[in-house]
Amino acid sequence: MILLRLKSLNKTFNHFCALTDIDFSVGEGEIVGLVGPNGAGKTTLFNLISGRYKPSSGNILFKDIDITHLKPHAICRLGISRTFQSSRPFPGMSVLQNVMVGHVFGKRSSLHSRPENKQAAKELLDIVGIAHKADAPAGRLTLSEQRRLDLARALATRPKLLLLDEVAAGFSPVLVKQAVELINRVRKRGVTLLIIDHFLNLSLKVSDRLLALDHGEKIAEGPPHVVMRNPEVLRAYLGLRHESERD
Amino acid sequence: MNFLTAKNRLNKSKTHWIGLFLGFMLFFALPLLVQSNHYILQVFTHALLLAALALAWDLLGASGSISLGHAAFFGAGAYASALLGLDLGLSPWATIPLAGLIATGLGLIMGLICLRLRGAYFALATLAFVEIPWVITDNWDSLTRGSLGLVGISGLPSIRIHGFHVDFGSSIVVSYYLIFAYFMILLGLVAFVHQSNIGLALQAIREEEIAAEAVGIHVNGYRLLSLLMSAFFTGVCGACYAHLVRYIEPGLVYGLHFSAVPMIFAICGGRLTILGPAVAAMVLYPMDQFVFHPLLPAGHEFLYGAVLILAMLFMPNGFWGRLRNAS
Amino acid sequence: MWSMIFVSSLSLGSFYTLVALGFALIFGVTRNFNLAHGELVVLAGYVSYWLWKMWAFPFILTFPAAVLVSLVICLGLERLFSRLHEPLALNSIVLSFGVAVVIQNSMLFLFSGNYRLIRIPVLSRGFHLPGLYISYTQITLLGSSLIILFLLYMLMYRTYLGKAMRATIQDKDAAAMAGINVSAMGTLAFCIGALLIGLAGPLYGCIHYLYPSSGQEATLVAVTITIFAGVGRLSGIILAGWILGLAESFTVVFFGVSWREMVSAVLLLALLYFRPHGILGHGER
Repeated sequence: MILLRLKSLNKTFNHFCALTDIDFSVGEGEIVGLVGPNGAGKTTLFNLISGRYKPSSGNILFKDIDITHLKPHAICRLGISRTFQSSRPFPGMSVLQNVMVGHVFGKRSSLHSRPENKQAAKELLDIVGIAHKADAPAGRLTLSEQRRLDLARALATRPKLLLLDEVAAGFSPVLVKQAVELINRVRKRGVTLLIIDHFLNLSLKVSDRLLALDHGEKIAEGPPHVVMRNPEVLRAYLGLRHESERD
Repeated sequence: MNFLTAKNRLNKSKTHWIGLFLGFMLFFALPLLVQSNHYILQVFTHALLLAALALAWDLLGASGSISLGHAAFFGAGAYASALLGLDLGLSPWATIPLAGLIATGLGLIMGLICLRLRGAYFALATLAFVEIPWVITDNWDSLTRGSLGLVGISGLPSIRIHGFHVDFGSSIVVSYYLIFAYFMILLGLVAFVHQSNIGLALQAIREEEIAAEAVGIHVNGYRLLSLLMSAFFTGVCGACYAHLVRYIEPGLVYGLHFSAVPMIFAICGGRLTILGPAVAAMVLYPMDQFVFHPLLPAGHEFLYGAVLILAMLFMPNGFWGRLRNAS
Repeated sequence: MWSMIFVSSLSLGSFYTLVALGFALIFGVTRNFNLAHGELVVLAGYVSYWLWKMWAFPFILTFPAAVLVSLVICLGLERLFSRLHEPLALNSIVLSFGVAVVIQNSMLFLFSGNYRLIRIPVLSRGFHLPGLYISYTQITLLGSSLIILFLLYMLMYRTYLGKAMRATIQDKDAAAMAGINVSAMGTLAFCIGALLIGLAGPLYGCIHYLYPSSGQEATLVAVTITIFAGVGRLSGIILAGWILGLAESFTVVFFGVSWREMVSAVLLLALLYFRPHGILGHGER
């Protein structure tokens, strides 16, 4: 069953085409890796799906509902959640409070937070492995802890589809291994994942499928080993095409 | 934002509650302590009203927006309540809440224009926004008597239940208690908002708006809610002011003073704390009236500007926020 | 009648440009909003008024004194602004709001709350052209504003220093990388801003009553014109000044003089409404 469908999606910023005619769909339960060099339009695609930007043309369907023109908070409540390339914790709150915000507002909000929210938030911190930091201010976490917090907060909104933006960038092999385990744990909770992975250190290990972008265009899609042998993809990554040097 | 470590939850330690209780008792017993000295009580009545005003301002401040135009709501509230009383003969019990609603309507207009703006541009827009109700009040002579102002506004209301009768306007002592009651109600409400999920949403919005919307917080909805609550209570403050002073004119209620003062109290006291803005008002206004006014009859309000500058340079969390961070 | 409206809005608009220039320059180079700008203009007007009235200075000789006073205060302001942290624009607004309150109350203390006007007999006269009357005040405002604008244009576009300053306005970090002393440019912007304020103040006192809280209006005019024009474009600034002058003149003619104060506020709100991301206008990071 198809969970997310992108129909000829375009996005231009002041005459610069960030994304051109993207057609793609993600099935329920899949893990899809989104790869491509810098400036390929991966994060822009995330911003369109999560509603931060509006596409110049085209449609986004989620569970057959047209979410193209919905606001980010409404999209989140329908069941799409995301993390950020550079994580964005609420720095003045404790780690636990950060996750509780996701829990309280992710589906419906009431005036008072109930105790079970706190329990659920603690479990999520346990899953991402920062339960021991629950009472620390989020602003004082290390970079890798902030990424985990971002993930826990996104999971707290109980998403059907989770968009992960560079969760493992700059991670050591040990941390990457942990991230792989983490992603498998998330998948077991019935969450579909779309993962941006510029450095390919994660998506090759966990993805069922890859979508490769370059200069805002789809250049390949399919199983990881096929996509990675695609000459276009190789060219984009190795920079043989001179345009790709521009950022 | 630069208040990374400030928490906005009530610190539920024992000393906190004892301090709060002592403060409450002090203000409750104040008329006895000063033996109903008219001048001192008048100053503290105004201080309580300004403290309420600062609390109302900070309802918006909690969402991370800084308003330089709250005199718009204050003035509209003052004029609405006074005119409803003078022209329709309504009791202040009715006109004061109505004035709050009219100020809320004005807040809705401000929200529609200004809420798409952030930070500095929001502040500049509110600065410009005050001019609109001000100039309209100034020019709509047939309704507002124009720039001459309004005289003969009724005093604060009275309660009459069977034989029991309290006239809040009759003496400064009862006026003091009425304003004190309003202040306590507003304080309770602000504390409730901070503790509730509304407070959580507002904190998320001011600390990291993009993440807030991504986890399902309706950002502009909550920003509008905080603006409307703030406008309502600011309007009520304006209405109370009109009945307390019993004379208003456009330059008095729409002027820079009532935009500046709540912002200054909130920022000096700590705009992310619940009590900070009120404490700043209770300290600074009496200081201004008892110390600076006798020394410098013209220009005594430079105190407010000076403390604002000092707070911006040395205590960005405000003195109450700093006190709490230290403990 | 139309030609008279046109002449008066042209002279008023040019003068508004002069009032806004210092604000726009300081904002452009340092990204600080100086909300005490109008208070500084009024203070310069008071200095001129006092020298002219009390010590019978010739009006023209009061300008250096006004410049000197605003220079001292602006350099003090620059020290204050430089201690602020992010978000710079918002914090500078709050800080300078406090400065405005301090200056207003100091003026109340020094000069009392009475309304003052600098009445120069020559300026109140004028001459007739076929179909219109032009006062010397209008000529003075128009002439001095245009001359100052021209000199500033020469400085910004014909000297090395101006080039460095424009580079700082466009991109502070890139300018610093290119070896421009960005903080010196900030100081310089405050100095030139103070000079412009010192020149605008006495003229302001000739056409507008001076009283301690009258600076707010000048601040609003400066903010409106700066946001209208966008950063670092002198041509945009004079255009914005003229449009504001025209809008005010028309409002006075059609609605009456008491609605004039609302014009710049409404214009500013409309500008912000349609360009919500403000002057820099990119919106998304």
